[in-house]
Parts: sequence; structure tokens; C-alpha cells
Amino acid sequence: MTKMRFFKDFKRFFNYVVFASKAELNSEVADSFLSWLWWFLDPLLYMLVYSFIAVVVFKSGVQYFPVFVFLGLNTWTFFSKTVKSSVKLVSAKKNIVTKVYVPKFMFVFEKIGVYGFKMIISNLLVVITMIGYKVPLTWRVLWIIPITIVLVVVTFGISTIIMHFGVFVEDLLNVITVVLQLGFYLSGIFYSIESIGKNIKGRVPDPYGTLLVKLNPMALLITDLRRVLLYGENPHWVMLIAWFVAGLLMSFVGVQIIYKFENSYVKVI
Amino acid sequence: MSDVMDNAITVSDVKIRYRMFKKISLLKTLLAPYKYKKTELFEAVKGVSFEVPKGQILGIVGKNGSGKSTLLKAIAGIFSPDEGKIDLHGHSVSLLSIGVGFQPKLSGRENIYLSGLLLGFNRDQINEKLDEIIEFSELGDFIDRPVKTYSSGMYSKLAFSITAILETEIMLIDEVLSVGDAKFKKKSYEKMRSLITNADRTVVIVSHSSETLSQLCDTILWLHEGEIKMQGSCDEVLPKYEEFMS
Repeated sequence: MTKMRFFKDFKRFFNYVVFASKAELNSEVADSFLSWLWWFLDPLLYMLVYSFIAVVVFKSGVQYFPVFVFLGLNTWTFFSKTVKSSVKLVSAKKNIVTKVYVPKFMFVFEKIGVYGFKMIISNLLVVITMIGYKVPLTWRVLWIIPITIVLVVVTFGISTIIMHFGVFVEDLLNVITVVLQLGFYLSGIFYSIESIGKNIKGRVPDPYGTLLVKLNPMALLITDLRRVLLYGENPHWVMLIAWFVAGLLMSFVGVQIIYKFENSYVKVI
Repeated sequence: MSDVMDNAITVSDVKIRYRMFKKISLLKTLLAPYKYKKTELFEAVKGVSFEVPKGQILGIVGKNGSGKSTLLKAIAGIFSPDEGKIDLHGHSVSLLSIGVGFQPKLSGRENIYLSGLLLGFNRDQINEKLDEIIEFSELGDFIDRPVKTYSSGMYSKLAFSITAILETEIMLIDEVLSVGDAKFKKKSYEKMRSLITNADRTVVIVSHSSETLSQLCDTILWLHEGEIKMQGSCDEVLPKYEEFMS
């Protein structure tokens, strides 16, 4: 039942989501001159900050370090911005929610559209620096497709559940902000959690390193993106499939609770 | 039997409560859980049933807080009843007059598309009506400026134009509008009249004004404190309502 309704609603509101995402990006670009430049400058400047911390403070060197950081940063930014914006998403859309019926999880898709597009743009930096470093490519590069699919499914699942609770829990944003901060440090954005190949030594000693990569989906996804793109290694297939299934489950639960409770949202916001 | 087939709206024993969900705070729940004992229960609509045949115009009257707008929002699908059922028999529906809700940063034109898509129209259908909407709204060049730069009059003119020109099969009208300046008011009233009197369209109007309702409606439903007090033709119900209110 839910599944049928989900696909029907998705089809019906898909055009709305595409248009709304584009319009949001457009308005951001139109809002201030050259503001899209920040889509590049943000990751670029942060990369410099983390280079300083990693190389100067912690004296660690990782092969292709700038690309290494860009990949982690862009992926993490997509995830954390989508999750964070979901907390107050329903009240942010109050204008719409109080006047017409929309399946509320479509708003999450709208955010995924916006931040996904920004991720693609900032990943041009990855391509450019990879060319600069002459990173040798293998056919394993193709695995970024399944990894990205898992990323989107996991992000959608977590965001829908958080969006639902964000309607009723006033201070959820405070909690989520702290948890995301912790997640940032536990996802290995500017260091490598596990050893990759011969060149990269893991910074988190086992068994914690292996555990972290298994239990934190973002650590897993970021590590695997680097493995396939930079170091020509296979991703952790088993864990990837496990998180894909977990992501689908979370999405299913999220959509289910939204269908069940979304009509009460109007009474609360 | 054919009566049942031709209904556009069937409302059966609908109850709508404002209750169970109050905002909670994790911190307060941890530190002062005893403060969260009772949530108040308020029933805005207490078991209402009625039917609107296709093409009919139903007026709903009642004093403030009688549950009129709540009921209208439930018919529009904005929230579902806690008990009972509302069946629109597959007809498209829109709440006229208040608009669909604009994104202030986007231009009027973009908001027309967004509203149309939310109402279930596709791009081609919107493109077809786009010029008509812009012309009716009298916004001129403002249509390409962000909605946040609009005056409140311009805002409601656009809102009205969108919902009036992208017609749906069932139209719900909360308070007959007095939108914009005198000229636009007259124009929008005429437009609404022609929309309402279209034989295929089913309309539900909520209003305080007996005069407007007696001009427009076929039947009247009188809600009082969430229950139906009276239901019948304009001549039957409206004089009694007037008497009750005075």
C-alpha cells in the first residue's frame, strides 16, 4: 500500500521537486553577484585549513591530499546540509504546507536536488586536481555510481526520519548540530581512518578503525570513494550492500511515519 | 443510486481534534518531565456528515471558531480527519483565494509554476494558462521580480489569479475575497461568480455574509460548535442564522 502510494506521489510531485530545486539554486545565484563562486571557494578554502591542520599540526602526509580532502568534504557537506535542513524543513515550508497537500518527504528530495547539484559542481575540483596530480585511473572508477546511490538512499532515510521528529521536538536542531559535528570528526574528512594500500596509514587503531568504517555510513562511503577513485581498490562491498539495505529500511520507515503523521504537522507548526 | 454516483464530496461522520501533538523539548523532558502530564484535547469538528452533489454550490455559515475553516482544510486534504471519512470521488481540489503559498525569494513567474505543479498541473498546462494568469493579476513587469518585493495587494492579486485561472473540479473558498483595490475587487468577484456558476464545478464557500451566500449558493450548512445545526436551502437556513446571530 505505502509502496504504491509512494511511487504514485513521487511521480505526481516529481516535476514540482525538479522545478523547486532549480528555482532555489537560481535564486541563490541571482541573490548576490558571483555567489556561485562560493560553491568552489568553500571546499577550496576548507581544504587549505585542513591541509594546515593535517600536515603542519599532525605531521601526516597522505598521497594526493587535496583530492583526498575534497572528496571527503564534498560528500560530507552534501550529507550534513541535507540532514540539517531537514530538521526545520516542514516549518520552513509553512507557506505551502498550510495551503495545499504535498507528501512532505518530497521536500527532502528537493533538498537532495539542491545539495546534490552543489556537490556535483564542487566535485569538479576533484576532477581538476586529479588531472593535476595525474592520478592513474582504473576501471574501478565506475564504482562511484553504486556508492553515490547508497549515499543518496542513506541520506534520504535519515533525513525523512529527522524531518518528522523535527516538527515536534523544539530543540532537535541543537542536538543534531552537535551530532553532526561529532560525525564530521568521525568520518575521516581530513585523515584516513583505515590503511589504504601501501601508501596510506590509518589514523584510528584497530579494532576501532574497522568498527568505525562499518558503523558510520559516512566514513564507509567516503573511504570507499577514495579507494575506487584515487587508489584503484575495491570498495567494502559487503558493508556497502548492508548500508544500502539499511538505507532502504530507514527510507521505508521514514516515509511510513510521514504518511501516518503528516496531517498533524499543520496543527503543530 | 444515481444520486450516490453523482456526489462530488462525501463527508461521513468526520471528527477533527486538536490534541495529541504538542511541541516537546528534549531538554525540558529530561529536566522537568512532570510538566508534561496532560495534553489538552479540543474537538473542532464533532461528527459532521453531508454530501455535495456534482455541480452544486454549498455555503457554510457559523460563528467564529465553529469549525468551518477546519472542515474546509480537511476537505482540501491539508489535514485528515481523526475519525470519519472524506471522499472526493477522484476530483481535483483547490482552496481558492489564499493561494498556494509563495516562495518569497522567487519571482512571480516561478511561483506560478510552483503553485501550478503543487496543484497537480503539468508544465504544458501551466504554460497554456501562464499569459492569462499574468494578465489577470495586473502585475506587469513585477511578475519577474521576487515575490518578497510585492505589496500585500499585489501578493493577493497573484494568489487569486493563479487559483482562479488554473481551475480545479472542486473549489473551496474561505471567505469571499476582497482582494486588491476596488477595480480588482470587482473583477475578481465577477471571475469568481463565473467560476462558481459553471455547471460542472462543485463549490464550497465559507462566509459570514448571508448576502453573498444567498446570491451564490444552492444549499447552506450551518455549523455550530463543530456540529451541524441546520442544513437546507438558503431561504430556510439563512434567516434563522441571522436571527441567531443578532
